[in-house]
Amino acid sequence: MSEKKQQVTRRQFLNYTLTGVGGFMAAGMLIPMLRMAVDPVLQESGAGDMVNVGLSVDDITDEPQRVDWNVEQVDGWHESEVNQTAWVFTDENGDIQAFSPICTHLGCFVSWEGSDDHPNEFFCPCHDGRYYKDGTNVPGTPPLAPLDVYEHEVRDGMLFLGQAKSRGEA
Amino acid sequence: MKWKKEDLNQYVQAKEYIDTVIIPLIPFQFTDEQNIEKNAFQSEVLSILTNEIEKELTGRVMLIPNYYYIKSSDLDDESTILRGWTEEIKKQPFKHVFFLTFDSGWKKREGKLDGTLLWLPGVKSGDLHSAEMHTVIKDQVEQIGELIRSYW
Ligand code: FES
Repeated sequence: MSEKKQQVTRRQFLNYTLTGVGGFMAAGMLIPMLRMAVDPVLQESGAGDMVNVGLSVDDITDEPQRVDWNVEQVDGWHESEVNQTAWVFTDENGDIQAFSPICTHLGCFVSWEGSDDHPNEFFCPCHDGRYYKDGTNVPGTPPLAPLDVYEHEVRDGMLFLGQAKSRGEA
Repeated sequence: MKWKKEDLNQYVQAKEYIDTVIIPLIPFQFTDEQNIEKNAFQSEVLSILTNEIEKELTGRVMLIPNYYYIKSSDLDDESTILRGWTEEIKKQPFKHVFFLTFDSGWKKREGKLDGTLLWLPGVKSGDLHSAEMHTVIKDQVEQIGELIRSYW
């Protein structure tokens, strides 16, 4: 009798512990899911993070110059420093422009005056893609959209850049 | 582009634009303890180099998965296997094949490879994260990129 009773207790005990473990597992699964659901909301405020790219506004001229900086990026499996680049200059209105160097055709690196044959333009070496100084793609060359534009901000005379935004097809 | 799902999705739709292939040739060997660190280091550097080149020229270049082989193996045999690779690759509209390596052994077998061998005199050691190494790698990337473009 006492033995039987003990067995029941053991079973109960197991039941309790297993429910406990199951609860933990469920929580373990649910919490990341919750986070995923909530994260985008949280990120919204962080997405506009502007980074000081180490360029003084006084050094920006009407000649596009290459600016490199690093940002932390976490993409699930890796946490890494990613190199970012922009072409920065002031346009004819004196406004600061910061273009992404990523070709809108298939993603090669676009350079200001990258080809001697096409002065005063951005040039993509991969398939001779071209963009005017204002970033618009030259019709008849492979890219179908203008270069992306970085959000920018000036704080204490230093240039801060954010996300590169597409300008859509043109 | 790389041997990655998203890239290949794009590749299949834009094949005619991607006409260049890069195949990194990387030796490894555990028995040669004297050179084990050097070999590993060069393998790391080569991966960084090829990744950077791919990044600059991604719209026209496909970076093939690394070709690893035992350092002491007969490179004639290895080149036979590599001919199989290039045969397979050339079924696609790829026009240019570049082999990138730090292993000077390939220099003598250049003729046996169906493509252009770019043998880079090796960096032997150093700190991958140091500023000097960054400059060295950036320079190399620029020069190799220019060389590849000269074939286009
Ligand atoms: S990737 Fe720039 S023109 Fe094709």
